[in-house]
Amino acid sequence: MHSSSNFKHLSLPLTISCVPTKSSPQFNPKIHLLKKPSSFLTISLTPTKPNPQICSKNPIFFSSSSRTKRLGLSSISCLIMEEASLDERLSVVDKVKCLSLEFRSLSEPIDRVKRLLHYASILPPLCESAKVQGNRVLGCTTQVWLEVRMDSRGSMKFTVDSDSEITKGFCSCLMWVLDGAEPEEILSVTAEDLADMNVGLPKKGRSRVNTWHNVLFSMQNRTQDCIQERKRALSLDDLHSLVIRPHAHSGGPSGDGSYVESEVGV
Amino acid sequence: MITTTTTTPLEGAVRKLPCLRSVARRNPNLTYRSFGLLRRRYKFRQLHVSASAASSSPSLVDDNPKLGPGSLGHVTRPDFPILLQEINGSKLVYLDNAATSQKPTAVIKALQNYYEAYNSNVHRGIHYLSAKATDEYESARKKVANFVNADQAREIIFTRNATEAINLVAYSWGLSNLNPGDEIITTIAEHHSAIVPWQIVAQKTRAVLRFVNLTEDEVPDVGQLRDSLSRRTKLLVMHHVSNMLASVLPMDEVISWAHDVGAKVLVDACQSVPHMVVDVKNLATDFLVGSSHKMCGPTGVGFLYGKTEILCGMPPFLGGGEMIADVYLDHSTYAEPPSRFEAGTPAIGEAIGLGAAIDYLTEIGMQQIHDYEMELGSYLYDRLSSVSDVRIYGPSPSRTVKRAALCSFNVKDVHPTDIATFLDQQHGVAIRSGHHCAQPLHRHLGISSSARASLHFYNTKDDVDRFIDALKDTINFFTSFK
Repeated sequence: MHSSSNFKHLSLPLTISCVPTKSSPQFNPKIHLLKKPSSFLTISLTPTKPNPQICSKNPIFFSSSSRTKRLGLSSISCLIMEEASLDERLSVVDKVKCLSLEFRSLSEPIDRVKRLLHYASILPPLCESAKVQGNRVLGCTTQVWLEVRMDSRGSMKFTVDSDSEITKGFCSCLMWVLDGAEPEEILSVTAEDLADMNVGLPKKGRSRVNTWHNVLFSMQNRTQDCIQERKRALSLDDLHSLVIRPHAHSGGPSGDGSYVESEVGV
Repeated sequence: MITTTTTTPLEGAVRKLPCLRSVARRNPNLTYRSFGLLRRRYKFRQLHVSASAASSSPSLVDDNPKLGPGSLGHVTRPDFPILLQEINGSKLVYLDNAATSQKPTAVIKALQNYYEAYNSNVHRGIHYLSAKATDEYESARKKVANFVNADQAREIIFTRNATEAINLVAYSWGLSNLNPGDEIITTIAEHHSAIVPWQIVAQKTRAVLRFVNLTEDEVPDVGQLRDSLSRRTKLLVMHHVSNMLASVLPMDEVISWAHDVGAKVLVDACQSVPHMVVDVKNLATDFLVGSSHKMCGPTGVGFLYGKTEILCGMPPFLGGGEMIADVYLDHSTYAEPPSRFEAGTPAIGEAIGLGAAIDYLTEIGMQQIHDYEMELGSYLYDRLSSVSDVRIYGPSPSRTVKRAALCSFNVKDVHPTDIATFLDQQHGVAIRSGHHCAQPLHRHLGISSSARASLHFYNTKDDVDRFIDALKDTINFFTSFK
């Protein structure tokens, strides 16, 4: 699906795969995302072949809207999360913008639902033992379970699941955006950033049915908890290192406390 | 199952719609009424008369109890402008009436008229606007009193909503009358607003909160309830109509059992007052709560009915202006009910809007509304139960068991929220999904959530048909994705 010849004018070209549209089945545009220092996205259109894997697995047809026409995105729709290469190369801010663009290009509500169901299908299921009350995301009309941990590098790792397919689709999008991100990036995302991805739900604000908001809020809260926990753990280590310092002259890593200090700053 | 649909003298007086001229003559102050509404009904009546010459005294729906053209739904639908729109490209089908009802033009105009013509604070100013606002506000109280057949208007206390009305009783009557070991009995099918306040009060007073289960027919077990009553029982808190099961409880019997052991009774009538005749004297209830927005009135206002002698013995719930007699630096004396329980400036326009809603409902006639909804509710139940893989909760209807006009249901292997989302997005059909503020009931049924389609008198057979067709399409859609 990559077409590097189209990117000669871009400093960091990225390609997003596309599916055929109902109105223009022969024309299969690509979106090229230019990652500039300001995270600005540039879009251009290039004919391409459809992705047979996506189309045969899950034929999804989309129509255009006045909004997308104004943006010059007529008949465009991209399965952005299918592009594995984007995962490593886009920041959280870029991913949010990509998803926003993708969902804005789907003018028909049913197409948004279909897209979410597709993304639900690629979300790895959570094991049953993790579906416990302690992992519940409160405030949703559906059941959502969320596991959060911070890896050894200080990045956040999420696993999430729901008993609702549409909600699972929401969660899949959030996972794509936030899984593996730095805590600061996760905390910088707002519910408003996700407004364009809503499926007929209130665009902004807290609601019992606003899954985007509640799951994001829960991810951010638990990220905060991880940060605090790590700080406490590191403080204890620091204290411990001070206590044991008289015995640490054998040259252990915590002997001078510098390792601890740098970790706290993560 | 026994329904309590006794027609009150008030109801009987307004059941039959008079002709336009006599309505205007009888009530010259009916300025907020939609002339279009009356004219349409008049036209309907004229057409109906010509079509059925055998009927000597035709009325709005007495001779048309079924669901075809000319039904109550068809006649009243134009009074609700919100229903005449498209949602997501489809004609709106609004079936979330148990959550909130739509507002007729008469109510919208009453609100607008208040804010445009006489917005002012009540019970305070001596100027014209304040006097007018006070008159209309107190008139609304009388309308509510008449609507539920209370003895006196001062037995009606305006609150923000039914939840606040229940909390008022909990914090005022409950905290001052319950002692350790006293029992509060309720059911597992209550709305959270009728459970949580009593959990708080029971914790504070060390009273015992006991719950009545469901029968095998998925109806609150009134037999178990009767057996649970004892001299320790001080309060019974029960819904009249379940917002999830659609069951209708025989509250007149239940209340008499409770009174036999000296217990007081609070009836949550949020799902009954908008749909049937509710008569507090006939029920002999001590407290009853209702919600304006579920009965075609504005949000932000509800009411508590309480027997005068009980209200007079209750301490204030909230402190502030309006509820006092005299304030000194070290103590205050309190006003008589209802002012004692209405601290601060109330929702004046909203209460007046509720009065307009009651005028509107009364003009149609609550018995007619109930009869029509029974027909339409049965139709909904029959059609929904014919859809494969659908499980409807609550009692099965029969000659003796009547259901309210709503169905909570689940579809095998499809989440109710996904159903509700797709119905809205693809078909413009508005239903509710979730636990409907009844989590203990859902747990008892072994589910975390359900979908709910709930009707009001402005719904039509066509609404039900479109909902069923849309539901079938929704099921097919999700099945195709598996």
